[in-house]
Amino acid sequence: MKRIAVTGLGALSALGASVEENWRAALAGQGGIARCVMGDSPHGPGGLELPMARVADGYDARLDAAMGHPVAGGLDPFAQFALGPALEALEQSGLRGHPVLSERTAVIFGHGLGGLATLESGYERFFGMKSARMHPSTVPKVMVSAAVSAAAMAFEIRGPVFATSSACASSSHAIAQGAAMIASGQVDAAMVGGSEAVSTAGSVRAWEAIRAMSPVTCRPFSADRDGMVLGEGGAVMMLEAWDHAEARGAAILGELIGWGMSSDAFHITQPSSDGQGRAIRQAVRQAGVQDRDDFLISAHGTGTPLNDAAETLSLVEVFGERARSMPVIATKSAHGHLIGGSAALQATIGLRALAEGLAPPIQNFTRRDPACDLDLVVGKARPIAAKLLLQNAFAFGGLNVALVFAAA
Amino acid sequence: MPQITPTDDQLFDVIAKEALVDRALLNRDAALEDLGIASLDVISVLFEVEERFGIIVEESELSDCKTLGQLMDKLKARAQAAA
Repeated sequence: MKRIAVTGLGALSALGASVEENWRAALAGQGGIARCVMGDSPHGPGGLELPMARVADGYDARLDAAMGHPVAGGLDPFAQFALGPALEALEQSGLRGHPVLSERTAVIFGHGLGGLATLESGYERFFGMKSARMHPSTVPKVMVSAAVSAAAMAFEIRGPVFATSSACASSSHAIAQGAAMIASGQVDAAMVGGSEAVSTAGSVRAWEAIRAMSPVTCRPFSADRDGMVLGEGGAVMMLEAWDHAEARGAAILGELIGWGMSSDAFHITQPSSDGQGRAIRQAVRQAGVQDRDDFLISAHGTGTPLNDAAETLSLVEVFGERARSMPVIATKSAHGHLIGGSAALQATIGLRALAEGLAPPIQNFTRRDPACDLDLVVGKARPIAAKLLLQNAFAFGGLNVALVFAAA
Repeated sequence: MPQITPTDDQLFDVIAKEALVDRALLNRDAALEDLGIASLDVISVLFEVEERFGIIVEESELSDCKTLGQLMDKLKARAQAAA
């Protein structure tokens, strides 16, 4: 199996429109969650106020400026939110315009839902305004593969290009898939990650109906946690065969050394520590690091009562009592839950933490819960000696992915 | 929704955004074909013009428009006729 280097990172969320802005905000304990009113439209039932972590207005113009030509108008926000990070990651890797893109590079992004804003505005015309005319770009904007197609066209990438979808684990499945393609020798590079744009009027009502949303804020592992907070944005990483990266003298930001995937086959919304543990065990065994203690754990950490307790159990099942002394971060407390884009963004921040030797604090934490007795990084950023990053992603429907990275 | 007669600048903004054409290339004499503006792009422009200015025009009414100026004049005439 080929070794896999990370040679580029890109990020976008309520914390900012670059990896550096996201990292700096997370490190400083600054959050992107704010109260928003959604769905204040003449054809809707009235606005709903709730906490969310939204991308700053005007991102479409920023994307057009960064790309150097108009592109945002043809894309739903979910695809815009992948394309910006894709550009950032590609430029950092030094692969923009490189011959490897012509055939030996894949693009794989994960998204839980796709083009909701486009779908909702189309249905508002159709059902609300009784207009039979649908916008001609509705289907090409809504389709879940719109973002990967946009990236392939923008950067002239002609290898395997497709999207993965597994709710909140979508981008981690995309990363695992890209890794497997490089490891097997099918491609030399893979642009992987994911994005989501679920803050639309109808969608937030549907999320609220699940009864998993906090009315206040996201407090992972805190005794008074009461649900998740939706976020927007995306993150992309360039994975590259180690020998390919080394041969061209690329700066290597980390190494992806293990990935595990499992299904609970249990419940459509409730988590299972058994399924989660199997994904983590696979990932650490593949990486050959099951006996090491120098992990930074970037938890799935949604802030729901069930998730965080189950995640604690799964970590203890895999590592035994050693799990309780590994530093744990949970950056959804800063950027909200990006659903399909979360794992890629959290892994990106986690890789920065490994590189800097600093763990960003879990925000909004108030008091300890005996059911989540882990070494939580709370209060302010903390120096860490970790050389390994475990990134967890556990989705509705019991779809679990664990990724293990090593510091460069 | 009240109809508003758009200015040339406002229409250039809409066309650049919806047809994904560089705003700097747009002028009244430019041919739609030369700008790469296809019929689906024109429909996108019509949706946005309806949203922003309340002007409802069917694509079939624009079939003889070859230049941006002709297209824009049709849209403006519709707004003025209704005003």
